[in-house]
Amino acid sequence: MKKAILVLALLGATAAGAAWALSAPTRMSAEDASALRQGDAANGELVFWAGGCASCHAASGAKGEDLLKLGGGLRLETPFGIFVAPNISSNTADGIGSWSLEDFANAMTHGTSPDGRNYYPAFPYTSYIRMSADDLGDLFAFLKTLPSVDGKAADHDLGFPFNLRRGIGLWKRLYLKPGPVISEPVTQDGLDTVLWERGRYLVEGPGHCGECHTPRDFAGGLELTRWLGGAPAQTGEGSIPDITPTDGGFGGWNAADIAYYLESGFTPEYDSVGGEMVHVQENMAKLPASDREAIAAYLKAIPPVAVQPN
Amino acid sequence: MRINRKLGAFGVLAGLCFTAGMAQAADDPVAVRKAIMSSVGAAAGLGGGMMKGGVDYSPAAGKAAIATMRAASLSFGAFFPEGTGEGDTGAAATIWDDADGFAAELAKFSAATEQAAAASGKDGPADLDSFKAAFGPVMGTCKSCHETYRKKN
Ligand code: HEC
Ligand code: HEC
Ligand code: HEC
Repeated sequence: MKKAILVLALLGATAAGAAWALSAPTRMSAEDASALRQGDAANGELVFWAGGCASCHAASGAKGEDLLKLGGGLRLETPFGIFVAPNISSNTADGIGSWSLEDFANAMTHGTSPDGRNYYPAFPYTSYIRMSADDLGDLFAFLKTLPSVDGKAADHDLGFPFNLRRGIGLWKRLYLKPGPVISEPVTQDGLDTVLWERGRYLVEGPGHCGECHTPRDFAGGLELTRWLGGAPAQTGEGSIPDITPTDGGFGGWNAADIAYYLESGFTPEYDSVGGEMVHVQENMAKLPASDREAIAAYLKAIPPVAVQPN
Repeated sequence: MRINRKLGAFGVLAGLCFTAGMAQAADDPVAVRKAIMSSVGAAAGLGGGMMKGGVDYSPAAGKAAIATMRAASLSFGAFFPEGTGEGDTGAAATIWDDADGFAAELAKFSAATEQAAAASGKDGPADLDSFKAAFGPVMGTCKSCHETYRKKN
């Protein structure tokens, strides 16, 4: 409750007018925009799985080919209300078929729509902002090859003040940051730096692992000092595990264990993956083995997050 | 290290005794269902280890893994009385809110183990390939049940 009041105060302040300018939606710089180019759909497919777009934008429970029908509709129940993932199929009326690459890149990296509205961070652009211009171009080319799906998804179901998109502009100023979370590996011991950096890119960027595995503060921003340190589940019950190399915890998994889990869904104890991680694991299984090894290398060389007494 | 871990799993299997669990069932269904699932995990470790090649295949070990899965799939569903979704358990509320869906996952699990048991025969699958064919589908049933009906504590 206290949290809600703080958020209310924060968003209320934007409505007050003083912060109006600060809450204006931002766009990519001309320089960033000029780096964009129509890309290669084959690599775009890999970016699509790494980014987990189907987990939210395909119908819930979709498998196989149905994962490529991005008509939206998945309901994300969060403490701020219910968000419904929109239609991002190639349909020109209901999806994003008429968008330019720059429109798409602004949505993905700045959380700003073609008509200049702020998106809610339930769309994980706080991670996608770290995606490369090449990957964005490739992903956009791949999305263009997917089937057109008719029909708009339902509206979000949010109470005041969360239904005011303008307020998100201020939130973005606080929490939307380009650049890496972990600046360098914590150990150099036998480390392949190129592999580690590839892992960092996948985890911090398209893979958006931090959106679930990192705890959030009162306003729903990620607490970067506890990066990947585990968090209560945002939707549903239970909790999301710490995946930093903590002694006595996830630190007991070696790199091969992590890569095998992402490929097969089995932990070193042969427990099976569950919950929302199932989609993520099935997406990771579609990537080249070297990408799973890169993620493992990264997770083995980031700062361990101490268990927090609650 | 890896191999020892898998052989350790075999030890757990060999010592597994469902009847002890049953006696406790009336007063502690949560402990029983967890014990059943950890035997499933151990059988998966043994079977998975053989499939991956970390543990040498033998028909007797193949049979043990399959028989454990079979017994677990038949007994597991009996230990979810109403009101046991709180506290130290990984059982999600959906087990009771969507009882039909949970029953369908149990049915898939036991159908897979029934086929595996039939393929296993008296002495267990003769070679690794026939074991893989029988056991693979059982390993394929874990995820969809855990996706919806299990939470991480
Ligand atoms: C965790 C769920 C989630 C994931 C994963 C996700 N999105 Fe979304 N996305 C959303 C939600 C929710 C919105 C609506 C945001 C709003 O209305 O403010 C959205 C909005 C969008 C929009 C704007 C659509 C419009 O009509 O304005 C685009 C484009 C988009 N997402 C593309 C993607 C792509 C591409 C990926 C994969 C790289 C992706 N999304 C992954 C939840 C998600
Ligand atoms: C939509 C939320 C979500 C996202 C995104 C997500 N995870 Fe997870 N992750 C979970 C949940 C929930 C679990 C617990 C799974 C279970 O119940 O078996 C989990 C478990 C794990 C585990 C197993 C940890 C353990 O101790 O059992 C690993 C490893 C992991 N995730 C890695 C990743 C990586 C790498 C990414 C990014 C590519 C990622 N996760 C993205 C929700 C998520
Ligand atoms: C019909 C649903 C279902 C199926 C099928 C299933 N599980 Fe489970 N599993 C559960 C539930 C529910 C729990 C949590 C039980 C509890 O904590 O009360 C669980 C818990 C576990 C645990 C943790 C046990 C402990 O010690 O607490 C392991 C390990 C496990 N499952 C492995 C597997 C493997 C491996 C498979 C596939 C061979 C599998 N499960 C198939 C429902 C299922």
